[in-house]
Order: sequence, then structure tokens, then C-alpha cells
Amino acid sequence: MDALSLASTWTLAQGPLPMPMAGITLYHYLVVASALFVLGLIGFLTRRNLIVMFLCTELMFQGAGVALIAFGRFHLNHTGEAFLVFVLTVAAAEAALALALVVLLFRRKETLDASAWGALKG
Amino acid sequence: MQTILHPFLLYGLCVLGAIGVALASPRERVAPFIIGAIIAAGAFGGLLIGLGVVAVRQGAGNLPSWGFYIFSFMALLSALRVITHQRPIYAALWFILTIVSSCGLYVLLQAEFMAFALVIVYGGAILITYLFVIMLATDGPSEEAVEAMSAYDRSSREPVAATFAGFVLLAVLTTLLAGGSMKLGMNPALAATDKNLAVMPEKVERALREAGLLTQGERVARRERADGKSELALDATIDGGSLQIIGADGKTARTLDKAQWPEALRLDNTQRVAFELMEANPGAIEIAGVILLMAMVGAVVLARKKVELDEAAKVEAMQRAREQSELGREAPFVQPATGGNN
Repeated sequence: MDALSLASTWTLAQGPLPMPMAGITLYHYLVVASALFVLGLIGFLTRRNLIVMFLCTELMFQGAGVALIAFGRFHLNHTGEAFLVFVLTVAAAEAALALALVVLLFRRKETLDASAWGALKG
Repeated sequence: MQTILHPFLLYGLCVLGAIGVALASPRERVAPFIIGAIIAAGAFGGLLIGLGVVAVRQGAGNLPSWGFYIFSFMALLSALRVITHQRPIYAALWFILTIVSSCGLYVLLQAEFMAFALVIVYGGAILITYLFVIMLATDGPSEEAVEAMSAYDRSSREPVAATFAGFVLLAVLTTLLAGGSMKLGMNPALAATDKNLAVMPEKVERALREAGLLTQGERVARRERADGKSELALDATIDGGSLQIIGADGKTARTLDKAQWPEALRLDNTQRVAFELMEANPGAIEIAGVILLMAMVGAVVLARKKVELDEAAKVEAMQRAREQSELGREAPFVQPATGGNN
């Protein structure tokens, strides 16, 4: 195997650049993306620690990111990557604000248990 | 309904994964984590092997590289550990592994810029924020004993119902995505081309000179743009393109096809993403900057806010302080009722 073909198996997802991924291989990435998203969702529903719940939303962002990049590669443009930049922005803003809120909540009740704030449901 | 994986295999693996995740969820009494993790890992592995078999059947041209299977398996397993680990610190550390392995997937998908941006921003910045907050907002001694952990970390809330709902969603998603992705066709009009090279005349001419394709006195033809500025006369399509080169006498012209272009003339991923961001949606970049600024201001305001302990927590804190002093130790630092100084 010469250097060029070795490089192309490593750097190219599928096939030479002008050719998009075949439909079948797009599905591979979509399955992984939805499994990541679903694991994050299960974590968000089951965990009771506020910080871990926010960590699980980041896991869902990861799933969405893999799907975005895979679709961008399939259509051979960079819209998915550009969109992921904004997802990253929202994730950073969310982490800063949500964690500041979590610290405030912890200082008030001395616990990170989400159900300690059950009174908020009215 | 078109399917890619055999329905029996797909739904069987979904059920198996649901059982594994439900078993692996933290529990108060016995936690059969190991058994659950092995079952879930088997389900994810089976899913990936099934996808591999499908890819082989379709022909070698469609086979994703082996890196895909390794990175996906690592991402899924570490995601499982994120949602099942009883200590938040370790959950955050496993999340870094999830990020790194999904960045491996991004590199396979030729999104190098986003892969490295994700490692830096997520693994470097956001996760460090999480670790700081976990350390700030955790009370009690951190001995190895299980009892030292808070009750809300040791048990999970309705793991069976949540896992059932999650894996029903996964089964529906994978089924619908199978049908959709087989129907999805590529639209060549939307594909990125090398047309942005036209606004980088210095780069193009330098690359051509270094490759010996542009001799002394020759220059690349220009043309007028709609806004009055000049750009290179470049025709770009998905799989081809050409440049016009004007000879030293200023009259003779020849065409340089993309097949002859040197390697240095290619736009790399970072440049392509930059053009996509700056040319296609410059307004969104401004809005993203404003969002980050507002988040920063908001976090500062929240962090300076005075906190009133509520009655129950106040009694609890006093009781703890009394117990500690009775044990002959120094009283721990109790959060003052009026923290902050604004």
C-alpha cells in the first residue's frame, strides 16, 4: 500500500473527495449519534445530581454534533461545521450560567439533589 | 419500510442495551453495575458489528475505516460510564473520553478544525468549569467508603422507566433514519467548491510560482466583481476547476486545470470553515459573541448574589457545627448568611 492510498484510508471517511459518503455509511454515523443522544437523555432522566444532569445535556450536544458533522460530510459542504460552532457557543454559555446557578442553589440548600427543589413545581 | 439492519437484530440489541443500562444505573443497595455494563457493551458492540457486516455486504467502497468502530465503541462506553458513575468527578472525567473519541469521529469525517476546537473548548474549558463547580459544591468527607457519598448520587430516579423510554426513542430513531438516509440524495449545487480561492490572489500566485507553473512575467487573469473589487478569474465546480493565466506579452492566455494544480493550492478545512462562517453567516458570529458576553455578565452577577440559607438548612448547618465542636475538632467554616459584598 503506497503512502497516498494509506493516507486516503486514514484521512478520508469514504471514497475520494468529490464523492459523498454512500447512503449506507451516513447511517453508521447517525446510529452512533442517536445512541449518544439517547444515553445522554437517559442520564438526564435518571440522575439526581444537578451537575451530572447538566453533564448529560452536554452528552446530548455531542450526539447532535456527530450527526451535524456527518450530514455536512455527506453533502460535501461545511454548513454542519459552522452550525457546530454555534452549538459550542451555546454549550459554553449554558455551562457558565447553569453552573453559576447550581452553586447558588447549593449555597442555599446545601444539597445538589434536584428533588430538593420540588417545591418549585407549584 | 426500508431497513438497513435486520429489524430483529436492531430491536433485539435495543432491548439488550436497555436491560444493560437499567442494570448499570446506580442503586441504593446492590448495584449489579458490572453485569449491566457487560450487557450494554455487548449490545453496543453488536450494533457496531452489525453495521460493519452491512457495510461489507454493500461492497468495500462503502466501508468506513476501522477507526470508526473503535472511536464509536469508546464514545458509547464512556458515555455509559458518564451516566452511571456514582461520583460526579469521575463522570466528568469519563465525559472527556467521550469528547476525545467523538473528535476521532470528526477527524474521520474530515472536520479537523471542529475536532481540535472541541478538544480545546470542551475538554479544556467547559470540563474544567464543571470540575471546579463539582469541587466547590460537594460537601462532606471524601473517603472511599460508599456512605461518604450523598444519597442522591448513590441512587437513580426511576432507571427502568427512563431506560425504557430512551431505548424506545433509539429504536424509532434508527428505524426512521434508515429509511430517510437511503432516500437522501446528494445535491451537487450545495457542495463546497474551491471558488473562495478567487479572493486569495497572493496565495494562488505564490503557490503557482513555487510549483513552477507560473514563470516570470506571467500572471493569473483577474475579473471584476459585482462590488467593484477584482478577483481571480476562477471557475470552480465540485470535481474540477480552471484558472486563466496570461502570458508575459499580456495577450496569450492558457488554461490551468485543477488536475495540474499543486497541493499547496488546496483550501484546507480551517479555511473552508472560516469562509463558511465569515462569508455565509457573519451576523450569526456577532450574535454568538453577544451571547457569550451576556453569559459572562450573567455568571458574574449570579456569583456575587447574596444567599440566604433557608430555615431547614440553617438548623442543619448549626447542628453540624455543634457536633463537630463536641467531637473536639475545630468548628468547620459555616457559610455566612450574607455572603458576597455588593
